[in-house]
Amino acid sequence: MCDARISADANALATSWQSSASASDAAPSALAGIRVLDLSGLAGQYCGKQFADLGADVILIEPVMGSPVRRDGPFIDDRAHIEFSLPFAYFNAGKRGMAIDLDRPEGQRILRQLADRADLLIETAKPGTMKHRGLDHAALSARNPRLVMTSVTPFGQTGPYANYEAEDIVALALGGLLYLGGYADTSPIAAYGNQAYLAAAQFASVASMMALLSVDTDRERVGQHVDVSIQECVTMGLETAIQYYDLERIVRKRTSGQQIMAGVGVFECDDGQIYLMAGGIASTRFWENLVRWLMDEGVEAAGQLLESAWESHDYLATSEAKAIFSDLFAPFARKHTKAHLYQTGQSRRIPICPINTPRDILTSRQLDYRNFFISQEHAPSGRNLVVPGAPYRLEATPWHQQRPAPRLGEHTSEILATLGYEPAACAALVKSGVVN
Amino acid sequence: MSRLPLHGIRVADFTWIGAGSFTTKLLADHGADVIKIESRSRMDSLRSSRPYKDGVPGINRSGYFADRNSSKRSITLNLKSEAGKDLARRLIATSDIVANNFTPGTMEKFGLGYEAVREIREDIIYIAMSMQGAAGPEHRYLGYGLTMGALTGLQFLSGLPDREPAGTGTNFSDHIPNPCHAAFAILAALRHRRQTGQGQYIDIAQTEPTIALLGPSMGDCSVNNRLPERSGNERRPLAPHGVYRCQGEDRWIAISAWRDATWAALRAVLGDPPFARSPDFDAADGRWARRHAIDDGIAAITRHWDAGDLMSALQRAGVPAGIVRTAADIVDEDPQLQHRGHWVRLTHPEMGESIYNAPPFRISESSVTPFAAAPLLGQHTDEVLTSILGLSPSDVEALRREDVLT
Repeated sequence: MCDARISADANALATSWQSSASASDAAPSALAGIRVLDLSGLAGQYCGKQFADLGADVILIEPVMGSPVRRDGPFIDDRAHIEFSLPFAYFNAGKRGMAIDLDRPEGQRILRQLADRADLLIETAKPGTMKHRGLDHAALSARNPRLVMTSVTPFGQTGPYANYEAEDIVALALGGLLYLGGYADTSPIAAYGNQAYLAAAQFASVASMMALLSVDTDRERVGQHVDVSIQECVTMGLETAIQYYDLERIVRKRTSGQQIMAGVGVFECDDGQIYLMAGGIASTRFWENLVRWLMDEGVEAAGQLLESAWESHDYLATSEAKAIFSDLFAPFARKHTKAHLYQTGQSRRIPICPINTPRDILTSRQLDYRNFFISQEHAPSGRNLVVPGAPYRLEATPWHQQRPAPRLGEHTSEILATLGYEPAACAALVKSGVVN
Repeated sequence: MSRLPLHGIRVADFTWIGAGSFTTKLLADHGADVIKIESRSRMDSLRSSRPYKDGVPGINRSGYFADRNSSKRSITLNLKSEAGKDLARRLIATSDIVANNFTPGTMEKFGLGYEAVREIREDIIYIAMSMQGAAGPEHRYLGYGLTMGALTGLQFLSGLPDREPAGTGTNFSDHIPNPCHAAFAILAALRHRRQTGQGQYIDIAQTEPTIALLGPSMGDCSVNNRLPERSGNERRPLAPHGVYRCQGEDRWIAISAWRDATWAALRAVLGDPPFARSPDFDAADGRWARRHAIDDGIAAITRHWDAGDLMSALQRAGVPAGIVRTAADIVDEDPQLQHRGHWVRLTHPEMGESIYNAPPFRISESSVTPFAAAPLLGQHTDEVLTSILGLSPSDVEALRREDVLT
């Protein structure tokens, strides 16, 4: 909020636009000095987070009523409030935040001023919206030729579907991943957790870095416009489905709920399920290890699995083979826990893994050893959130969390002050609803 | 045409199978000179994985391998021989990036661990993408794409609550989270090197990017002490939101019409059916409470629709809706992907013409796209040894006779 007290503090503190970058850490940051404006929703906010966590100065620009992601659950303490959204808190950690009405000329003026000194702008508005506001790449780069602008939309900026409406499940459907998910006897079932939006955000990060490096390399070069299609990002996740169709004219279908071949699939155990992968791509070198294990555990009939028929992938794929294998392995698995099967199986060099629940993951000894989870302060609730930390370890320029996600408008006055707005001007903008 | 973004960057690429090869594909398609170091005795297992061109097996015929290795060169080196290791070291000396996704310790066995490589090239960017990271109690555990889905929680969370966990039906982590995170980390390290001259070691555990994407669910579990569960296609508190059967064999449409306005538009397109007229459904919480009845009502109507016609009708009315496309649909029928030039057909010496994914974004003024088909095993051994390492053709022949280039 833009009250006078905070403005005064901001004037005192904000000596430069980059003043907020964490200066306390001795190690350098890979992306220090890169200034990012993140105007995005769920299809882009993880991109902004990736930049922030490697040291870029990222400002989240929200609508005056707040990002729609603030209305997405789950909520901290189940409190459905814009400051308690877990997706918002997680995907916007490390950013400063301000709220601007970009449909008003005064708001557009502020954004232009910000873009004049930015390296990257990320946005997820419908195609044409930024142009209508006078904030498209052509307009902004006329003032700041080095600006890279990354636009993430369901289908891209142009084309027959450019104006189609989509949400995550629709992009999964048209991108082909949805058809591969689920059980043979049910409807297709979508991947959990907004994976289409997040796929787009991840590719947006890669593409934005490519474009930023190009500008860096060649001082003469102008910043480019990056056009990311969520649908197209989903198609990157189809594994072999496209090639099966192209090369063998086979249309892959969903197959969950059954062994893919004998020794590959989900098995119930004492406290959940495990995934066993003793055939398939990993090939048969794990097969013998598995059979020895079963025999050592008293499943003597497992010896038949060493007969020559079991060397053939074609045989492994038959329902007879699957049934024989299941009759031997399933009763054994049901007697043991996920952790026991995982650790014992792995010690015998068998690819077997627990089907982890989030709770299993939070208590994983491997992730604990790597200090993967971090504690993130959440002032509105007074709680500390335990959430994933570094997804990559860059030894010389470590990932680190910079700050919690901003409250709505938390840095509005601080940022306006760096643009030269006096507290009175700032207050007027708040009063008229141009900023929040 | 401007230069590709990674023009002038060389990658000594020791990756194989899924996530590693997909990472270096992203670099290769953007102009990096990616030299894949292979070996006949320890071949990338994707080379012997279906699908094959015309269904005929062969180490140079796999589409699984091909798509992940566009725009790269392949050399074969026997890293068990001293001369083979020496060639690898000489190639690394000319490289900017060394990449591998082996179990920790494998590169060290070849004398190509980070410390050794830094002796060869101090500013190298060295990325190791093992299953569970460089160290820790489970760092040597075996894993593949499917077991990774299990470890990361994505499998547990995807599917129906009363059925076994389904996951995505693919090796999801291999194809999107890991390559994207790895490529981003490499590009960030390249930027740091340009600023400072300093290279570095990057350690990625292939489980961690996917878990990072599930951050809100991890937070729900840790702060609310709630175990998130599978919910099929339902997304609390959105209703209707789901996948509905259409006319034809295994044809479906995804519809999300949970907003008041899109719900009204959906009703209109479906012909204002009696089931949908209940005033209980006017508000979002009422729709959520009776979502199963609504889903059944919608499905009873959509089954008489052609999925494409229904998508068009719903989109005209502003309702998010999309055909659940099969791989065949996506290649042959999708006008949007065709408009974007997503599918690229490249000619391969043995496979002939086959299909490749272009990167899923367009950078203005740049023509990034896969520009060469996957390499044959060892296709570029002679070329790389002579043009980059300065060997003469007779040197190469001698090495070949000594079993160094297998």
